[in-house]
Amino acid sequence: MDIFLQALFLILDPYVLGVMFLAALFGLFVGAIPGLTATMATALLIPFTFFMDPVPAIAAIVTTVAMAIFAGDIPGALLRIPGTPASAAYCDEAFAMTQRGEAEKALGTGLVCAVIGGVMGAIVLSVAAPSLAEFAIQFSSFEYFWLACLGLSCAVVISTSSTVKGFVSLLIGLFIATIGIDVTAGYPRFNFGNVELMAGVSFIPAMIGMFAVSEVLRYVASTHTPLPMPQQKIGNVFRGLGPILSRYKVNIARGGAIGAIVGVLPGAGADIAAWIAYAVSKKTSKQPEKFGTGHVEGLADAGTANNAGLAGAWVPAIVFGIPGDSITAIVIGVLYMKGMNPGPTVFMNNPQLIYAVFIAFFVANLALLFLGFVAIRMSRQMLRIPRKILMPIILMFCIVGAFAINNTVFGVTIMLVLGVLAYIMEENGFPIAPAILGIVLGGMLEHNFVSSMIKADGDFLGFFSRPIAATLGVFVIIVWLIPLISLMRRRLRAAVSTA
Amino acid sequence: MRLNDAVPGVFLILFALAEMAYTTTFPATFGQQIGPDLFPRLIGVGLLGCGVLLVISGLGTREQVPLVTLGDWATDSRAFFNFLLVPVALLFYILASDWLGFIISSLIILLTLLYRFGVSLLTSLAVAVGTTIVIQFVFASVLLVPLPWGLFQPVVW
Amino acid sequence: MKHLGFSARFAGMALAALALITSPSHAEYPERPITLIVPWGAGGGTDATGRMIGNLLQAELGQPVNVVNRTGGSGVVGHSAIATSKPDGYTIGVVTVEIGMMHWAGLTELTGADYTPIALYNFDPAGLHVRADSPWKTAQDLLDAVKANPGEHKGSGTGQGGIWHLALAGMLNDAGLAANAAPWVPSQGAASGLQELVSGGVDVVSCSVVEAAALLEAGRVRSLAVMADETLGAFPDIPTLKNETGLSWTNSAWRGVAAPKGLPDDVKAKLTAAMEKVYNSQEFQTFMNGRGFGLIYKSGDDFAKWMSDSDESLGAAMKAAGLAK
Repeated sequence: MDIFLQALFLILDPYVLGVMFLAALFGLFVGAIPGLTATMATALLIPFTFFMDPVPAIAAIVTTVAMAIFAGDIPGALLRIPGTPASAAYCDEAFAMTQRGEAEKALGTGLVCAVIGGVMGAIVLSVAAPSLAEFAIQFSSFEYFWLACLGLSCAVVISTSSTVKGFVSLLIGLFIATIGIDVTAGYPRFNFGNVELMAGVSFIPAMIGMFAVSEVLRYVASTHTPLPMPQQKIGNVFRGLGPILSRYKVNIARGGAIGAIVGVLPGAGADIAAWIAYAVSKKTSKQPEKFGTGHVEGLADAGTANNAGLAGAWVPAIVFGIPGDSITAIVIGVLYMKGMNPGPTVFMNNPQLIYAVFIAFFVANLALLFLGFVAIRMSRQMLRIPRKILMPIILMFCIVGAFAINNTVFGVTIMLVLGVLAYIMEENGFPIAPAILGIVLGGMLEHNFVSSMIKADGDFLGFFSRPIAATLGVFVIIVWLIPLISLMRRRLRAAVSTA
Repeated sequence: MRLNDAVPGVFLILFALAEMAYTTTFPATFGQQIGPDLFPRLIGVGLLGCGVLLVISGLGTREQVPLVTLGDWATDSRAFFNFLLVPVALLFYILASDWLGFIISSLIILLTLLYRFGVSLLTSLAVAVGTTIVIQFVFASVLLVPLPWGLFQPVVW
Repeated sequence: MKHLGFSARFAGMALAALALITSPSHAEYPERPITLIVPWGAGGGTDATGRMIGNLLQAELGQPVNVVNRTGGSGVVGHSAIATSKPDGYTIGVVTVEIGMMHWAGLTELTGADYTPIALYNFDPAGLHVRADSPWKTAQDLLDAVKANPGEHKGSGTGQGGIWHLALAGMLNDAGLAANAAPWVPSQGAASGLQELVSGGVDVVSCSVVEAAALLEAGRVRSLAVMADETLGAFPDIPTLKNETGLSWTNSAWRGVAAPKGLPDDVKAKLTAAMEKVYNSQEFQTFMNGRGFGLIYKSGDDFAKWMSDSDESLGAAMKAAGLAK
């Protein structure tokens, strides 16, 4: 208890709270701008953390990231351009709600679910850190391969139109992911001698292109005066939220659990957590046909999952020094710099510091409830601007965002090419969400498949040779077989009834 | 522009064949049985299969869906021009930003697009200047993104 | 004639501006912010040390030093970004051991000779790490096991053909075994290689000791040997490979600051002097020692010689291990 009080005093220091407030504003801003990610915000904080004590330094990162991941929902809902990759999974859904005049419902749900998810993640982090890390560290490439397969099945679930077209989109995404030097063989593929392409197609410019540039193209291609935004202002985001929250409390709890677990696994972060939570939500929903048309259910799942994933990623980072996602990869560096070397010993050497980190998670997420509300109020200005003025401004921000991720104009090229591709795809009924998922998971899928084959000396049974891998593998195969079995059942029943 | 499914189907088949042919140039990896060509080939096979399915379904609907349906913009020259303007603006930034610098490129792009989209000249000018200043300040000064100065380089420092 | 007056004034202004643009500035370097390119991702060792150096250089030179990550392509992208930037001292970068490897693997034409060396600041030897419950107690046990069952025990720690792959393959080669007697399972870096090790996916990881420090401290990993001539100051209990097995094979990663080739001498002198101060500063030494990074300092020609020596020995080792194209 003593340690807890010490930690509490460390956080409640006015200086620390001031730092957290500034970090919150910074995080909201960065998250709301497409192209600027929570990872980038963290990297930008590093120079400032040099001059801080450990607690304010870590608290600043925790706050920035929590704010940024929520703020990514705002442009996603209002403009169909996700601010960070973690909002990409349910961006279409939220935008469809805005088009129906339910922006406050979409954003309010996103905000409250983000807060709940963040708090759930923080609870998981503070209660179960060591034992969860113990579980996650048992994962080798076999387990990750199955996990990636599970992620890919999301593509089929989330695509709303024809299955073949969804599959094509996924394959295009997977192909894009193979461009560049592959980790496994160190051989540059499909770059045709271009040095920049050796690094592959960066995900951020790809995402901006596929969401934002295609949206701008769609705007200019519509000759008749574009439909005015049905909604000119945003009302009280908290109104009518009670029934939604109580109806979907199971979804929220499940989203939080999925987020925390996916976050704990090294190499999978908030964005993948959101995709999986969204797909699970659709799969288990009583009204799956409503998904994609502006249905709030998936938002509850995925909006909770991405914020819960943030805290989850800190578990392996603190306990084993293995980053749970790209943000915690940077955090580990900061921890070392501040003398809080990750490892189980950190709980013995500096327990008050670690507890202060946990408390910072709670404080940051509670502050999100208020600051996120203010941010939504301010963002409604965005809806008042006529689209003919808004679109060029968006395009300019996208250019800078695509440039900023690697500081190269090549990002703008990627954005352009994929933007045009996405526009053509959508015009012809190919959904783009599976392609995005393919780009996200392609590297993980291929890499873990090849490593596993090497480890198993080419024997495919190796994928079932370890208990967790076998369980996951069987589960994946069942998930894949369910649609086939139900199809065959229907055929059988039809045959019986006609006979 | 809407296409009959057969058109993207044929395109996917051609693309998949070219891609798989290209993977044969990948070298084998020392000491490993699996090379960098395996995955692209699997993707190629998948795309080929989907392409064939699309061609079949497209030919089935040929009566109702013509091979190519041009969008409204193709008949309206103003919209057509605006449509081309977006990729051209991006190309312009890609090619010229390093030399002109961010500020000039951004002003040119914003001014052109805004004016072409039907915003009055004065408003276009104000929005272009305002947006450029905000981006330059926030990204270059606060977020330390090295936006190119271009022609302004010697003037500023 | 108001019009003419205006155009004349305008022309005068334009001329003045043109003069400003074209005339070389004579003010003393540095007069504007400097970009420090890091060819590896945020969060890794190169990024951490690069950001530290950037911060300290900033205080030393009195101009902002912006650290920029240019990642991907096994380091090719960032390294070529440094080499192809303007040699005016406003773009410098961290070059790493891979500069002496990439061209042997056929990924690029770049070598250490394409840079103006400023200062070498870090040197981390490879280690041999096994799971804590591994039956192998010494490096010799490991070698014997690999010899008894070639192909059965797998190693990891970085991508195919990366520096730690070379560490393992070169050691096996020196021990008279086939370089792929312990097949390499490529990983995305030391952290994911160590994850594979702890989860039981591979049997040995040959990354640097500092990268394994957290797991070592957690008691999940045991380090059998370090591939250096002497034991490490921060980890005195880990014996050298030579002491354990008699093999004189050594392998290490290094990091240094360099500028594009053709840097003016006065700029080079100024940067080198600043780097020397940074290296000797209390902050830098505390930071490096705190994380267990190895310290070494060489500047100018010494650093150039270091790079070409490293290049040569890496090339020979890569050819012997079959990793060169």
